[in-house]
Amino acid sequence: MGILLLIPILFPMLAGIPVFWIHDKKIRRIYVSIMVVINALIVYGFAFLPDTSLTVWTITDNLAVKFQQDGLSRFFSCLIASVWALVTFYAFEYIQHEGAEERYLAIYTMTMGVLIGLSYSANLATLYMFYELMTFITVPLVIHSRTKEAISAGLKYLGFSVFGAGLALIGFFFLQSFSVADITFMPGGILDMAKVAGNEGAVLAVTFVTVIGFGCKAGMLPLQAWLPTAHPVAPAPASAVLSGIITKGGVLAIIRVVYYMVGPDMLRGTWVQYTLLILAMCTVFVGSMLAFKEKLLKKRLAYSSVSQVSYVLFGLFLLTPEGFLGALLQVVFHAVAKNILFLSAGSIIYMTHKTRVDELRGIGKQMPIVMWCFTLASLSLIGIPPASGFFSKWFLATGAITPEFGALGYVGAATLMVSALLTAGYLLPIIKDAFFPGKDFDYPRLKKKEPSPLMTVPLIILSVAVIGLGMFPNGLVLAINNICGAIL
Amino acid sequence: MIILETNVLLLLLVAFPIVAAFAGYIIGRKSKKVRDYFVIAVTAVEFGMAIGLCFTSGDFFWKGFVGYGLHFRADGFRLIMALLASFIWLMTTIQSRDYFAQFRNRNRYYLFMLLTLGATMGIFLSANLYTTFIFFEVMSFTSYVLVIHEETPEAHDAGRSYVGFAVLGGLVTLFGLFMLHNILGTLEIDQLAAAAAALPEGSFGTLLVAGLLTLFGFGVKAGMYPLHTWLPQSYRFAPAPATALLSAILSKAGIFGMLVISCNIFLHDYTWGMIMLCLGVLTMLTGAMLAVFSVNIKRTLACSSMSQIGFIIVGIGMQGILGEHNAIAVQGTLLHLMNHSLIKLVLFMGIGVIFLHVKNLDFNTVRGFGRKKPVLMGVFGMAILGVIGMPLWNGYISKTLIHESIVEYIAMFPSMTGMAVFFKIVEALFTFAGGLTCAYMLKVFIAVFVEKNTDPEEQARMDAKKKYMSWPTTICLIVGAVILPVLGVIPHLTMDHIAAVGEGFMHGHGLDHAVAYFSWTNLKGAVASLSIGVIVYFLIVRMCLMKRDITIGKRVYIDVWPRWMDIERWIYRPGLLRILPFVGAFAARAAYSVADVVITGCKRILFYNRPEKFVAPLNNEFGTYNIERKPKRISNSLAYSLLLFGIGIILALFFLLISTLVR
Repeated sequence: MGILLLIPILFPMLAGIPVFWIHDKKIRRIYVSIMVVINALIVYGFAFLPDTSLTVWTITDNLAVKFQQDGLSRFFSCLIASVWALVTFYAFEYIQHEGAEERYLAIYTMTMGVLIGLSYSANLATLYMFYELMTFITVPLVIHSRTKEAISAGLKYLGFSVFGAGLALIGFFFLQSFSVADITFMPGGILDMAKVAGNEGAVLAVTFVTVIGFGCKAGMLPLQAWLPTAHPVAPAPASAVLSGIITKGGVLAIIRVVYYMVGPDMLRGTWVQYTLLILAMCTVFVGSMLAFKEKLLKKRLAYSSVSQVSYVLFGLFLLTPEGFLGALLQVVFHAVAKNILFLSAGSIIYMTHKTRVDELRGIGKQMPIVMWCFTLASLSLIGIPPASGFFSKWFLATGAITPEFGALGYVGAATLMVSALLTAGYLLPIIKDAFFPGKDFDYPRLKKKEPSPLMTVPLIILSVAVIGLGMFPNGLVLAINNICGAIL
Repeated sequence: MIILETNVLLLLLVAFPIVAAFAGYIIGRKSKKVRDYFVIAVTAVEFGMAIGLCFTSGDFFWKGFVGYGLHFRADGFRLIMALLASFIWLMTTIQSRDYFAQFRNRNRYYLFMLLTLGATMGIFLSANLYTTFIFFEVMSFTSYVLVIHEETPEAHDAGRSYVGFAVLGGLVTLFGLFMLHNILGTLEIDQLAAAAAALPEGSFGTLLVAGLLTLFGFGVKAGMYPLHTWLPQSYRFAPAPATALLSAILSKAGIFGMLVISCNIFLHDYTWGMIMLCLGVLTMLTGAMLAVFSVNIKRTLACSSMSQIGFIIVGIGMQGILGEHNAIAVQGTLLHLMNHSLIKLVLFMGIGVIFLHVKNLDFNTVRGFGRKKPVLMGVFGMAILGVIGMPLWNGYISKTLIHESIVEYIAMFPSMTGMAVFFKIVEALFTFAGGLTCAYMLKVFIAVFVEKNTDPEEQARMDAKKKYMSWPTTICLIVGAVILPVLGVIPHLTMDHIAAVGEGFMHGHGLDHAVAYFSWTNLKGAVASLSIGVIVYFLIVRMCLMKRDITIGKRVYIDVWPRWMDIERWIYRPGLLRILPFVGAFAARAAYSVADVVITGCKRILFYNRPEKFVAPLNNEFGTYNIERKPKRISNSLAYSLLLFGIGIILALFFLLISTLVR
C-alpha cells in the first residue's frame, strides 16, 4: 500500500524529462496538461487513503528516506496539486512571450513532484532532501529570462536558501540526538524527555536556529531579503507559484519542526516562542510597509507575500488551536489570492507590457475580467468580508488576544490590523485607477485587451475559490481541526 | 402575525437585491430602458417584502456562512429601519432614472446601488455583531462606487477620504470586536447586555476601550466628530440620489451600530452616556457651524446631516445618563433618527431636481432657481420646517423629546451647582444648535426661492423653466413631503406608536405619562430656538457671510470659513499619508536591510580590492586621464589572505598533531 506514495512524487519528475525534447507546441501542451492533471487527480485520490508510510531506503539506523500520508501532508499536497494544475494552463499562454517553453514546462512539471515529495516527507532527513531539491529545481524558473538582473536575483535566492537550509541542518543534527529512537514525525513531538532533561536551553536554541533557517523560504525576518528580489524577476506564472506555494514549503517545514519534532509543549511560554512571535510581527509590518512604498507592481506583490506569509507564521507560533486554525486557513487563502494577483499582474504585462502601478490607469476598462479577479483577491488579502482572508485573520487576531499572551497579543493583533490598513493602501489605489480613471479619460481610444481563455479561466476559477472559500469555509475548518486535534 | 422558526423572508430581503443587482447589470448590457424599470421594480418588491416582514416574526440563521454564520431577526426597531431603508431606496431609485439620464456608467451605478441595498438590509436586520460587521464592510465598499460616480477630480478626492475612513474605521471596529469577543464571549446582540452585566468588577476599563474602538467605525459612517471630515465633501460630490441614500440611510447604519453598543454593552451606563453626550454635542455644533458657513447648497445640507446626527447622538448619550428611566430619550433618539431620514430624503431629492438644471450648486449660481416654482418650493418648505423643529412638523416632536430628556435630568439635581451647570450648558447648546439649523435652512430657502439671481438673464432663463421635473419625481417628492406634517400634526396617533414598536431594541420601557408636545413649556423651547435662528440669519449670514461684489454691484455669498480650520487637510492627511508612512518606512527599511548590510559588509571586506587609480597622461596636450586597468584578481582580496591564513593554521595544527604523535 505504502509504495503507492511514490507515484505522485516520481511520476511528474519522470514525466517532466521528455518535455525538454517535445518541440511541437500543441503536443507539448497536451502532454504537460495531461501529466499535471493526472498527477493532481492521483494526489486527490490518495487523500482518501488511510494513513500509510513507506520507508524507501535506510541509510543508517536513524537516517532513512521515508514518506508518510497524514493529515498535514494531505492538506498541503491537495493545495499544491490544485494550484499547480490551474497555473499550468495559464503558463502555456504566458510563457510564449518569454521563450524557452520546453525548459520552463519541463522544470515546472518536475517541481510538482518535488513539492508533493516535500509534503509526504516523514522525517527531517527526507524533508531536508526535498527542501534542498525544491530550492535547486526552482532556480531555473527564477532565472528563466536569463537577463543579468534575473541571474543575480537567482544567485541571491540560491545563497539565502542554502544558507537557511544550512541553519536548519544544524537543528537536524542536534535534535536527532535528543529524540526517541524512531525519528518519524509524530504529532506532539518526538523528543525523548529523559535525554532533554538538563539540556533544555540547548534544545530551545537549536529549535530557534532551525526555525529561522526554514523561515528563510517563508520570507521571515531576518532572512527575507531574497524574496522581493527573486519573485518579481521570474515569469509571472512562476512568481505566482513561488509566492503562493513555494513559500508554503518553508511553512510546512516549520510546522513539522515545531509541532511534529520539538512539540508545542516544549516551546510554550519560552523565549523562543516570544522571539519568533516578535520576528513574525516585525515581518508582517515590514513587508506591508515596503509594499506600500513600492511602485513596481510585481515587486509590490512580492513584498506583500513577505508580510502575508508571516501572518501564517504568527498564527503557528501562538501554539494554540485558534492560531493554528487561522494559520492554515491563511495558507490556503493567501495561496489562492496571491496566485490571482500575480497572474493578473502577468496578464497585464503580457497584454500591455505595463509594469508600474502608475501606468495602470483605466486598465480595468481594457481587461475587466482580469481586474475583477484582481479586485476580489485584493479584498481577500486585505481581509474584507465575505472574501476569504477575513476569516483567517479573524482567527489569527482572536487567537492572539487572549490573557495568555497579555500585551504581546494585543500588539500582535494591532500589527495585523495596521498591516491590513497598509494592504488596503497598496492595493486599493491600483483598483481605483483601473476602474475609475476619471472623467477626462479617453474612452474612445480604449481597446479591449482581455487575454485568451487559457489565462482568464484559471483566474476565474481561483477567484470563485477566493470568495467561495470565504463564504463557506466550514469544510476547510473541519479538515484543519482534524489535523489540529492530533497535535494540540 | 406569523411566527416562523426560520424566517426566510429575512434572507430574501438581504439576498434578493444582491442577486438582482447582477441580473440588472446583465439586462443593462442589452437594454438601458428595461434595466431602469427592472431596478425600480426590484426596489418596489423590496419595499413590499419589508411591509410583508411586519406580519411575521422570528429569526433566520445561516450556520457556517463566513464561518460563524449569519443571524437575522425581525423585531420592532429592525422592522422600522428595514421599512425606512426600502422606502427611501424606492424613492431615490425612481428619481435616479431622470437624474442619471445624461451620465456615463449607469449600469455600474445601479449594480452597486442594489448591492448597497442588500448590504444595508443585512446591517439593519442583523442579530449579531459579526453579521453587522460583515455587511457594514460590504456596504462601505459598494457605496464608494456611488460616491465617486461622477469621477471628477473633486469626486475622486472626496472618494479617497471616504474609502480611507471606511477602511480605517472598519479595521478599528474589527479590533474592537476582537476585544469584545474575548471579554464578553459572545457577539449575539441580545446576549451582550447580560454578558456585560456579568463581568467582574475592574474589567470596565478594558470593556470601555473595546467599546470605544468598536464605536470608531460606526462613528465614521455616522459622521461623528472628530471622524466627520470625509462627510461634507463626499456628500457634496456624490450624485444627489446617492447623497440621499448616504445621508438618510447609510449614516443610520452607523447609528444602528452605536445603538447596539450603547444600549446593550453599556446599558444605562453613566460614563458611556457622558462620552456619547460630549461627542454628540460636538458633532451637533460642528455640523451646524460648517453648514452656516458653507457656500454650496449641497454642502450645507451635508453638514446639516452631520449636525442632526449630533442631535441623535445626544439622545443616545442621555439614554445612558438617565439610566433606568430613559424612555423619553429612547423615544427621542428613535424618532429623530426616523424623522431625519425622511426629511433628508426630500431635501436631497429636491437638490437632485435643481442639479438637473443648474450644474453648479453654489449659492450664488443656484440663487433664484426656485422662484415661480410652487411645487418645489412647497416640498422644500415642508422639509425645512421639519428639520428646524417647527411645531406641527415631525422634527419638532423628536427634538422636543430629546430636549425634554435633558431638562428632566437637570430637574433631578437638588441645586444648580456642579454637574447641573454642565447640563444646563448642554441644554443651552442644544437650543443654540437648533437655532443654527434654522439659520442655515433660512439661508438655503431664501437663496433658492426668494432672492433673485445676480444675473438677470440667468434669472429669466430659470423662470422660464416650467417643466423642470418629471411626474414620477414630482409624485415621489410630494409623497415624501406630505408625510412630514402628517406625522407632526398627529404625533400621538403616529409617532408614539412607532416609538412604542421600536423602543424594545434600546431596552426602553414606555413613557410613564404621555408627553404634551404642544404644551407651552415645550413650545417655548421651539420658539427660543427659532428666534435664535432668525437672529443668527440676519446678524451673521446677511451681515458677515455676504458681501457686495464690486463688478456686478450686488451682494453675493462669500466663503469666510478659514482654510486652516480643515483638520483633514492639516492633520489627518499629512499625518496618515506622509508622517506615519515615512517613519514606518524608515523603520521597515532599517529592519529589512539587516541581512543585506551583513552580506554587503562581508563582500566588501572579503573581496576588497585596491581602488583603481588614475594615471596621468604622458602627452599633456592631447591625452586624457586613463584608469589603470588592473585585472580583478582574487589574490588581491582579503578573502585570499584569509584563505592563506586558514591554510597556515591548518598546517600548524597538522604539525602539532604530527609532533605529538611522534613524541
